[in-house]
Amino acid sequence: MKLFLSGNEAIAFGLVEAGVRFIVGYPGTPSSEVIPTAMDIKKRFGIKGYFDWSVNEKVAFEEATAASYSHIGSAVVMKQVGLNVAMDPFMNTAMTGAPGGLVVVVADDPGPHSSQTEQDSRFLAFFAKIPVLEPSTPQEAYGFSKKALFLSRNFEIPVMIRSVTRVSHSREDIEVGRLDDLQVKPNFIRDVDRFAATPHFRLILHKELNEKIESIKKLKWFSDFEEYFEGGVLIVTSGVSFAYLYDIVKDNNLEDKLKLLRISMSYPLDLEKLKKAIDKTGSKRVLVIEEGYPVIEMQLKTKMPTVEGRLSGLVPNEGELTIDKIGEILAKAGVLNQKSHGFVLPPFKRPSLCPGCGHRSAFYAIKQVFKNKAIYASDIGCYTLGLNLGAVDTVHCMGASISFGFGFDKVYSLFGKNDQVVVATIGDSTFFHSGMPALVDAVHNNSKLILVILDNSTVAMTGNQTTPADKYNQIGEKTKSIEIERVIEALGVEFLKIRDAYDIDGMINDLKHAKDFVLDNKVPAVLIFRHPCVYSGEGLENNIRFKNIYINKDLCTGCRVCVNQFECPSLIFDEDRKKVFIDVATCIKCGQCVKSCPFDAIKVEQ
Amino acid sequence: MKLIILGVGGMGALSLSKIVAQMSMNRNISVRSSEIHGMAKKGGLVEVQMKIGEGKSGVVLQKTADFTLVLDEAYLDYGKAFLREDVFGFIVLKNKDKEWIVKDLGDIRFANALILGRFVKQQNLFTNDDAIEVLKNFKFFKKNRIAFERGLV
Ligand code: SF4
Ligand code: SF4
Repeated sequence: MKLFLSGNEAIAFGLVEAGVRFIVGYPGTPSSEVIPTAMDIKKRFGIKGYFDWSVNEKVAFEEATAASYSHIGSAVVMKQVGLNVAMDPFMNTAMTGAPGGLVVVVADDPGPHSSQTEQDSRFLAFFAKIPVLEPSTPQEAYGFSKKALFLSRNFEIPVMIRSVTRVSHSREDIEVGRLDDLQVKPNFIRDVDRFAATPHFRLILHKELNEKIESIKKLKWFSDFEEYFEGGVLIVTSGVSFAYLYDIVKDNNLEDKLKLLRISMSYPLDLEKLKKAIDKTGSKRVLVIEEGYPVIEMQLKTKMPTVEGRLSGLVPNEGELTIDKIGEILAKAGVLNQKSHGFVLPPFKRPSLCPGCGHRSAFYAIKQVFKNKAIYASDIGCYTLGLNLGAVDTVHCMGASISFGFGFDKVYSLFGKNDQVVVATIGDSTFFHSGMPALVDAVHNNSKLILVILDNSTVAMTGNQTTPADKYNQIGEKTKSIEIERVIEALGVEFLKIRDAYDIDGMINDLKHAKDFVLDNKVPAVLIFRHPCVYSGEGLENNIRFKNIYINKDLCTGCRVCVNQFECPSLIFDEDRKKVFIDVATCIKCGQCVKSCPFDAIKVEQ
Repeated sequence: MKLIILGVGGMGALSLSKIVAQMSMNRNISVRSSEIHGMAKKGGLVEVQMKIGEGKSGVVLQKTADFTLVLDEAYLDYGKAFLREDVFGFIVLKNKDKEWIVKDLGDIRFANALILGRFVKQQNLFTNDDAIEVLKNFKFFKKNRIAFERGLV
């Protein structure tokens, strides 16, 4: 069966075909398509397996570790910053091992395109002492996923598949194999010296881990290098950079100038073998070009101090190594005559919350009440774009809105005037992910924080995945819905109001009450402003839709208050006429902007 | 063949690339693509780069493409930047095409088939039948065929 698969889809096919029957993770661009694909495969081919989202990456990692302890082939999927959240179990599972196999799929985002950091997960594989495989194309992502399970099972060690945006989000025609329902049986064999090891036994486990790594280093295929072309300058490379280099050589006829030595497993590296392979080529000059941090380069430099790469200043130390960038590097190194032609950029459009998004109305209400007086701590998700409405001052990492809010409030209460208002905004899924522990702290330690949960009932930013509040999972299986309001009540919050985020007056009212309450009582207040994401098919279908919405040209003064303060991208200022008009192609006729016009010029027809 | 498809979120740039990919696969020609849709959901550009019968990565550099298909006139200059200097493969969905599609076919998404028609007409790797073979499996084959044939004239 030949399919046109993205790297992420290919990973799902590879894992399931290899026999992985337990896949969990948390959504995050560019990794989010692996689990939905696995769920579709399960439904389509009638495969028995547990493939679904977890509440966060740490929990996912532990769930998958237990499945692997039970001899079930397992995998856990996340983006690079997700691995930071899962760091604790990640380090530990490397020590205890993964009897049934555990593939750790991590998608890095050099650029970064949609992340807070450009971190290279291969370094964390190095740090935890587990092997890492680097596919360069979707086709390889498929094949390497199968190999990863094989390696993981045979050595009872977690194995990382390190993808990057350009592999995860590329497509290729791939011949996939048969997908059969396997007979698998859980078989957890009690071994407390391993699975409940005290520090004394941890030392033994560490020694075992070192031995595993030594053997894997020498393993056929994994430790082999592929060589391409016959030129005098040698480039040691891996992952997506290899695919780019290959294309550059072909397109520029550099076959007799460059030679590529491609590494598939960048840790552990058999450095003796690598040095021999390099020496055999007789190349006088060796460059290392790899996407991310200098993982291969640092290892190789211990044997060959003259290699050139990031450490020698040839390759820049930040930013994505696009094919253009690699071209520039080769030109700088004097091996490619790149005619530099000005790169044309696409017209820039500021990212903005979708037209009709309930978050916009909520931020608008917040801003109306607190103006520039409050400190606004926000979080990771679509609502980061509350920036455009001036209602977001900090965005850090998952869940940090509440802990930041706590920190701000404490210092201002202690050392400042005691009337500083702090408003934290967080999405529903992010609240479940890691906002809950921070709220426990805020309640227990009497923080007078105002927490607004922007509940759109989905993980919107990454493609509308389900949340713990859903009653069914993606493929229609029944789940238990966790109601946020009940969690808030159970945590002992004394002020809770729930409101539709399309009710701007109601929200303004709630916010004013919340302010009085926190200042009087010095304890937190929580508001849930709820409106389904209008980007999801269901959300848009059920959304209020006026027959018509238009600007009364006579009333519009061209003051731009709606454009600046409400900031819906469907409100466009016509520079020639000095009036606003509504872009009918994108407007969803929700009518939310009506309130923002001080001259009542935005009109709706029922 | 190197191909660029540019559109905005919801215009069907991705589906168009998948149609071309299926045409290639039916003919046993290798096909790769690279998608850039960072903030597509937020009204931004959707860019698909494709390599048909060549390459290891799906990435296409500026000044190297054989064809650029532009589904939104905001991206004319950007689209042109991808074309090789010696080719004429610049295919644009004009506003009057959009009007015709919405009026006669009722949904802007049939723009795909129209652009596909223009593309197929201008090159000699794929035949009309290759395209019909793929469109045949679509829910609204009739309307797609009308749009496709309109692209051929
Ligand atoms: S995807 Fe949904 S939640 Fe995100 S901005 Fe669009 S409407 Fe709002
Ligand atoms: S009605 Fe107003 S707020 Fe709603 S989408 Fe249209 S312009 Fe935006």
